Amino acid sequence: MKAIHSSITAVLCLFSLLASGYLMAADQADLDASIETLKSEVVSLNQELFELEEQLLYPATTEFAVFVSMAAVDDFAVSAIKLTLDDQDVTSYLYSAQQVEALRRGGIQKIYIGNLKPGLHKLTAEILGKDTDGRSLKRTVVADFGKARSSKYLEIKITNNEKQNRPDFAIVEWK
Amino acid sequence: MRWFLLIAFAISPSVLAEDLLPEQYRASGQDALYGQALFSLHSGEYQKALGLNQALQKRRHKNTPLLKIQQATAQLGLGMSQQAKKHYKKLLTAKSSKLISHGTRAQAWFYLAKHFYNKGMWSTALQAIHQVKGGHLNPQLKDEFHFIAATLELFQGKAKQADKHILAISPQSMWAAYAFLNLAVSYTERDVHINQVDAVFEKAKMLTKYTQHPESLEDKINLMAGQFFFATGRGRSAIKHLKEVSLDGAFTSKALLTYGWALTEQWQYHDALQPWYMLKTNHSPLNQDVQETLIAIPHLLEKLNAKVMALGAFDYAGEQYEMIYKQLEESAKRLNTGEFIEPLLAQQIPDKWGAFAAIDLSLPNHPDRIYLKDVMSKSYFQGELKNLRDLHVMRSQLNSGIEQLAAFEKVQITRRDEYQQVKNDKRINLTSRQLLKLNKRYKTLRATVDKAFKNPSGVGLASEFEKNQLASFKQLNTDFKALDENGHYLQRLRRVEGVLKWALSQRYYERKKEVSKNLAILDGKIKQTRRQLKAAKLAFRSTPKSFNGFDKKVARLRTKYQQQLKRLDIVYQKQREKVGGIVKLDIKKRQKVVMDYQLQARLAAARLFDETSNKHRVVAGAEVRQ
Repeated sequence: MKAIHSSITAVLCLFSLLASGYLMAADQADLDASIETLKSEVVSLNQELFELEEQLLYPATTEFAVFVSMAAVDDFAVSAIKLTLDDQDVTSYLYSAQQVEALRRGGIQKIYIGNLKPGLHKLTAEILGKDTDGRSLKRTVVADFGKARSSKYLEIKITNNEKQNRPDFAIVEWK
Repeated sequence: MRWFLLIAFAISPSVLAEDLLPEQYRASGQDALYGQALFSLHSGEYQKALGLNQALQKRRHKNTPLLKIQQATAQLGLGMSQQAKKHYKKLLTAKSSKLISHGTRAQAWFYLAKHFYNKGMWSTALQAIHQVKGGHLNPQLKDEFHFIAATLELFQGKAKQADKHILAISPQSMWAAYAFLNLAVSYTERDVHINQVDAVFEKAKMLTKYTQHPESLEDKINLMAGQFFFATGRGRSAIKHLKEVSLDGAFTSKALLTYGWALTEQWQYHDALQPWYMLKTNHSPLNQDVQETLIAIPHLLEKLNAKVMALGAFDYAGEQYEMIYKQLEESAKRLNTGEFIEPLLAQQIPDKWGAFAAIDLSLPNHPDRIYLKDVMSKSYFQGELKNLRDLHVMRSQLNSGIEQLAAFEKVQITRRDEYQQVKNDKRINLTSRQLLKLNKRYKTLRATVDKAFKNPSGVGLASEFEKNQLASFKQLNTDFKALDENGHYLQRLRRVEGVLKWALSQRYYERKKEVSKNLAILDGKIKQTRRQLKAAKLAFRSTPKSFNGFDKKVARLRTKYQQQLKRLDIVYQKQREKVGGIVKLDIKKRQKVVMDYQLQARLAAARLFDETSNKHRVVAGAEVRQ
């Protein structure tokens, strides 16, 4: 009787040990999964907040944004862009090598967003960069544009002029 | 097997999540959202990329499989490996997807395998590496692929497959040294002849020149070889390798300790003391190698028959162990009160998180830093700490989100006030009244002007006196006609009348010019007032109700943020306990080792005390007998 009792106790102990081990492992996995879920939810929430911020601070009637893109330009790396709107400096941006690569791979950067009243305006973009030989290159592009009571988007485009084998810079309006 | 782990963690070069991405460009030139998502993803801003990706998927973008790949990449970047793995497996195994070329597919599997390998998920990494078709892989990645494949196969104990991969690595590649080191370690576990093991160690050492840190790797190889030869009873070979380890590297303390033991094994007791004293003097007692040395030195002194010195050294070791034990106890307390984790988290960059954002493990002037460095060097601990850091960053993000929402509320209130101000503005009424007055004045003036300037002869502009004069002329004309037959007076009268009329006509033009000018000014005023009225009416009509609808959105988001914060706090506490648990466990292990050493030291001291006392007694007895 004593032997049966002790063997049952041993089995129970073994079972409880196994169960606690299993529960601990499950707990760890659960914790990892909850962290991932939390991360995903926080990302969604922050995106929602970001959208709300854009809607609230830059209403469609006054919104003005400037984008930067660089298509298939291998022999030029942008290092900085300075924007002047109606003779006032509005922003300047320094690019890391990773960001230049991101532009090369088709990314568009929203370099500036703000509010602008209807009327005629002037945007000046000063672009600094280096070519493959390490020579510094500085170009200024200017765009006169009209703004109505709707959003206005401009894009600073850096393209490759294949004929002259040099980069081309332009400001284009998004229709 | 534990040696493999050492190698695996030592060589974990950084892999960025975007390396997994295929070379896909944005399809539509002006798709701002997609372009921005691509920019964020390639520039390593995974959180922003994932958020934009979610927004794009909500818009039901056409390139859904591509978006899914990008989503998985961003998830990987944020350390959401489980979710990313699910997406990747689904996408990469779907052979029908034309979006992914064979080269890209091979590359993606390779980087995925590398990512899991670095995270220590070896079976998953092996599954992924088996999917890589070497033929399609970029030649620059081939050596690394063979190295990872070999290491993973060795982890699974499949030596033959591992050997195949090792032999496929180019000797000039940096991976060759690591691969041969792994091979040597696997030989030590496979009972291969000792000469062959030594040859492979030597080969690995030769190949270190192609690696980024050849000196450090060479030290490591020498230490591993030395430890292996010492463990297999080949002291001389061990000494040969251990002698080559530099004295100011990361492996110095371990090398000095093993060197001392190897010399002891060779009965070179005097020589063995030298590395141990060097180790004891130059390193902290919290270093585990020093702790072993503390008991090894008296052991050696005893062997040299310097029993009194050995007794003193055992006593000293016992005291040191007691002190170390207390220090470890205090560290454990600091861990419970959060004095360790909180400063560590506080020194992290506040907005950097995710799998690729490195953790700042420096612990300036922290009392626990010596042994914490050991714990921190373990990849598992770093992974858990990264998770805790991510939760910490997320918590501060949520808090700043709540603050931002409060600021939005203020903006909304300001906008509402502005709107009310415009609506309550009396400008329209005032301008309307002014316009009415001006119009009335204009009309009256116009009527007067019209009346005055009706006759271009300027009669309308004549003064009362002049009007009387003109009337007198008329009367005189009739009178003169009746009296004057020669018409002499009549002619004179006409001359006088002519002078007056000429003066009047002259004044007419001048006055007309002046009046026209004044009328134009008045007209201008009227037009301006009318414009003001129009603008005021337009402003009234079109004042943006830009605050409308936002209060609900803000309130809803705030509730979500607060709920999320509560949930995060619970998970944070659990994760903190987990991280703390790892360190606590390490502290306990260290305490146990220290206690063992202390016990050994005390027993040895007691034994030696007994022996030396007996000797004194024997000597004293002999003297008495004499």
